[in-house]
Amino acid sequence: MSEQELQINPIVQDSVAHNTKTLTNLHSLTASLFGVGAGILGLESYYGFLFYIAFSITTSLLFYILQIAPSSLGEGRTVLDSGRYYRGALELWTSGIFNGLPGFILTWTLFYGLVRA
Amino acid sequence: MAWLSRPLTVIGLVILAHGCYSAHEHTVLSSTSVQHPTSPSATSLPLDIYIETIAATLLICLGLVLGSGTPEPIQWHTWAGKIEREGDSTSGDADKELRSNPFNALEARSGFINISKLRSDFVKYQQLGK
Amino acid sequence: MAQLPAQTLHRDPQLFYWILIPITVVMVLTGVLRHYASVLMTTTPKKADIKAIREQRALAHGASLRTNYHVLSRKAFETRRDFLIEGFESGAYLKAPNQKGQPPANPMSDPNAMEGMMGMMKNNMAMMIPNTLIMSWINAFFSGYAIMKLPFPITIKFKSMLQAGVLTKDMDPRWMSSISWYFLCIFGLQFVYVFLLGSDNAASQIAQQMQQQQMPVGPMAPGQDPHKMFKAEAENLAVIEHYSVLDGIEERLLERIKV
Repeated sequence: MSEQELQINPIVQDSVAHNTKTLTNLHSLTASLFGVGAGILGLESYYGFLFYIAFSITTSLLFYILQIAPSSLGEGRTVLDSGRYYRGALELWTSGIFNGLPGFILTWTLFYGLVRA
Repeated sequence: MAWLSRPLTVIGLVILAHGCYSAHEHTVLSSTSVQHPTSPSATSLPLDIYIETIAATLLICLGLVLGSGTPEPIQWHTWAGKIEREGDSTSGDADKELRSNPFNALEARSGFINISKLRSDFVKYQQLGK
Repeated sequence: MAQLPAQTLHRDPQLFYWILIPITVVMVLTGVLRHYASVLMTTTPKKADIKAIREQRALAHGASLRTNYHVLSRKAFETRRDFLIEGFESGAYLKAPNQKGQPPANPMSDPNAMEGMMGMMKNNMAMMIPNTLIMSWINAFFSGYAIMKLPFPITIKFKSMLQAGVLTKDMDPRWMSSISWYFLCIFGLQFVYVFLLGSDNAASQIAQQMQQQQMPVGPMAPGQDPHKMFKAEAENLAVIEHYSVLDGIEERLLERIKV
């Protein structure tokens, strides 16, 4: 019974909001920079999106290594388990991709246009 | 580690700006030169611009990740253990409200004020002043 | 099928300085302005009548007992439940106990409800007016030519949207006019606001719209009979099957500290 589990081990809503906000801000800032990179390299269509996905997964990985791993591994969790800070594994690894996409497309278009003018 | 964030980001931005400038110059040159009568998008960038841009992007990314705030544990017992152990003495942060112990209000209820301790503190304070 | 050669257009580099940069700067400044306008316009909640507050709080009390019953012992829960149910059913917490059965007043005539609606109107206005102004400004000054090329291909259906006012039939739909740069700015400027104003800003319209969609309906939705709501809450409380989180705590504790 998961509801009862949740009542026995309650979740701090403030922390959840704080973590989500941290991650969203990080991703919206980095995504725009990836757009700059993709625009400079003049990537088109699929390559641009692949570039974006690869780099934003890299960002998540860096975030895991630098901010999550020290305390999470110390708690005895397995590698790449983000359960101490995020409720689902997907939240850490993929949510940023969709958050940053509009900013990425904006700067990608801008720099593609600037460099290829 | 957080102090590294800003320098890393700035260095990365400078390198990225340089890469951007180089790429721009390259396309302008190759579109005007006679050897490349083809359209400018057909000529590819030299390898060093690729390397420079990707390295700069990674560097900025690293800087931003270092500068992003640390996450807080979401399970109540982990979180409460953390704030009990570390104390809520985190000095004037923006997110101090989040970090401070939510049960502080209970500890400081007026029914539980230790008058004699407060009084002895006050006496000490008075003696200090003299 | 032969590969079509890529279309190239020679554009004046001045286009960037006189179109892209003005539009972007205006969009960013509008967002900043919207943020500060919304900070200024937040009205402090009005002092409500003591009876009205009691009505709301009693309902909230019932709801919080219903969601948090598991931290109470059985006896404590039953005492609270019986007390609340009695109060709810007799209408002791009602704002006006005399008009129990009457239909609720028209929300339009209630000044308190009007206040809330005005707040929502103000928010909507703060979003609508700049948008309309900027769009007509762009249409008036910057329409009729393509300024840049999207780095990814899109289908022909977008042509009418991206190249509004260009009227060239065979042009690749990837070329876009200034109005589509405006749309890109609407969606993609979030990171600028995060950078400039901090994370919880009110500048982005997208975020605001999301917020409005998820805005929970307050405990006292206007136009509902409070007595009926109390009745429903009493019923909800009555059907709760109580258990405590402390049930079986000994086993769980031993489980956790077992070597």
